[in-house]
Amino acid sequence: MSVTNLDWDSKVIYFDNAATSWPKPPAVRQALDAYFGEAGGNPGRSGHHMSIAAGRIVLEAREGIARLFNISDPSRIVFTKNATEALNLAIIGLVRPGDHVVTTSLEHNSVMRPLRHLEEQGVKVTVVACSPEGLLDPDDVQRALRHETRLLVTTHGSNVVGTLLPVGELAAMARELGIPYLVDAAQTAGALPIDVEELGIDLLAFTGHKSLMGLTGSGGLYIRPGLALTPLMRGGTGSVSEMEVQPDFLPDAYESGTLNVVGLSGLAAGVAFLLERGMEEVRAHEMALIKGFLEGARQIPGLKSYGPADIEQRFGVVSFNLADLMPSEVGLMLEKNWGILCRVGLHCAPAAHRTIGTYPTGTVRFSWSIFNSMEQIEAALGALAGISERQRTGGVLTLG
Amino acid sequence: MVEEMDGLITFYNSYHAIRAEKVLRSAGYRVSLIPGPRELSPNCGVALRFLYAHSEEVLPLLSGNKVEIEAMHEYRPRTANWPEIAASTEDPVRRLRFNRLGGKRFL
Repeated sequence: MSVTNLDWDSKVIYFDNAATSWPKPPAVRQALDAYFGEAGGNPGRSGHHMSIAAGRIVLEAREGIARLFNISDPSRIVFTKNATEALNLAIIGLVRPGDHVVTTSLEHNSVMRPLRHLEEQGVKVTVVACSPEGLLDPDDVQRALRHETRLLVTTHGSNVVGTLLPVGELAAMARELGIPYLVDAAQTAGALPIDVEELGIDLLAFTGHKSLMGLTGSGGLYIRPGLALTPLMRGGTGSVSEMEVQPDFLPDAYESGTLNVVGLSGLAAGVAFLLERGMEEVRAHEMALIKGFLEGARQIPGLKSYGPADIEQRFGVVSFNLADLMPSEVGLMLEKNWGILCRVGLHCAPAAHRTIGTYPTGTVRFSWSIFNSMEQIEAALGALAGISERQRTGGVLTLG
Repeated sequence: MVEEMDGLITFYNSYHAIRAEKVLRSAGYRVSLIPGPRELSPNCGVALRFLYAHSEEVLPLLSGNKVEIEAMHEYRPRTANWPEIAASTEDPVRRLRFNRLGGKRFL
């Protein structure tokens, strides 16, 4: 796939989309220009046309997210600065001392750290172990759920091993027991189709700057009707200004202070790009890349990749190690000699690395987007084969 | 001569105000967002003007799109007062309070 109208550095092969996506669709840049040119006001605060124009941008972002995730009422989507804030809002806003929470061993620290913090305040946390392949058995979750379980929280896709969790099954299980289910879609929102209402997800946390193709500093939380959270913050909302108590209606209840309108203008454009492209096409493209990489990687001596061979259970993130090299060495060689940018180490998810047996060394992680191509996959496989060859023959790889 | 928009809808927040504008405009109604008259509502900073003659059609269209309104008003130039509030999705006590405040021309 060719990317046009971008300041595209052809020497760079960007395989770090799970950290943040690059490049962005050209329309995202154009949206920023439009924001600064026409809509520089504060949304929901004033009655003049620049404030209203900013409000329309926020609405466009909210309605776009609602369409993408099949959410019938866009007001149930509240914007945050990232998935971490959305996860904190859901977890801290729902769980009280004495409650029980169930989660998995694949979680990112954005879930683990709030839970460990709550543990110190008398919350009981059960971490359901996943397999060394990075797969979750829903029966293990079923066994962990109790009467006093207040929340089930799982990732939708592991940022370390690239496996997908059975969120539909987990949602049905939680719904039957009346336990709210929070899904961390930081990695999967915009990477594959997510139908919140069909799956029966109660809370969905997403970030704007990864597969949704928006900017850093944008994210949000979907809150199912009937579920009330304690806000993380209280303050000005532009509504019921005569009252000194926080409004209880959405989205205002959870959106105190001026929103990141410039970030949301980029998010709206990113989501519009995905809606036009179609999530099935995005998913199919990423699956082709995964398949191509895994097939090629199997031919490289000394390369160990993690996770299942079945690509249906995966999305566009792979972790691997090469011979006895440290991930940081491999990452440095890939960048200096081939211009391949990736992320190495523990990826803010120590429990996930313990699960797949790569703690504390970590892994090399490649993560793709709609803008990566099979030619780039082939170039990376060639690079890894080159590193492997030099390792085996004792050759020296100079850093270019 | 273009008919003057004599209906006004107030909202609790700008989300519903701006969504109402979009819903009604895409359904072909003439609407306009204006700074909300303070004497009608202390809530959201913007209110939506429309032709009051369309109020019967506008209300179900808004609720069908999950747009919540605070109140719907009709402007009557003769008395220069805001009359009874026609409809609201919110509690009646608040509505009555706003009713008593009366109103003035918002153009």
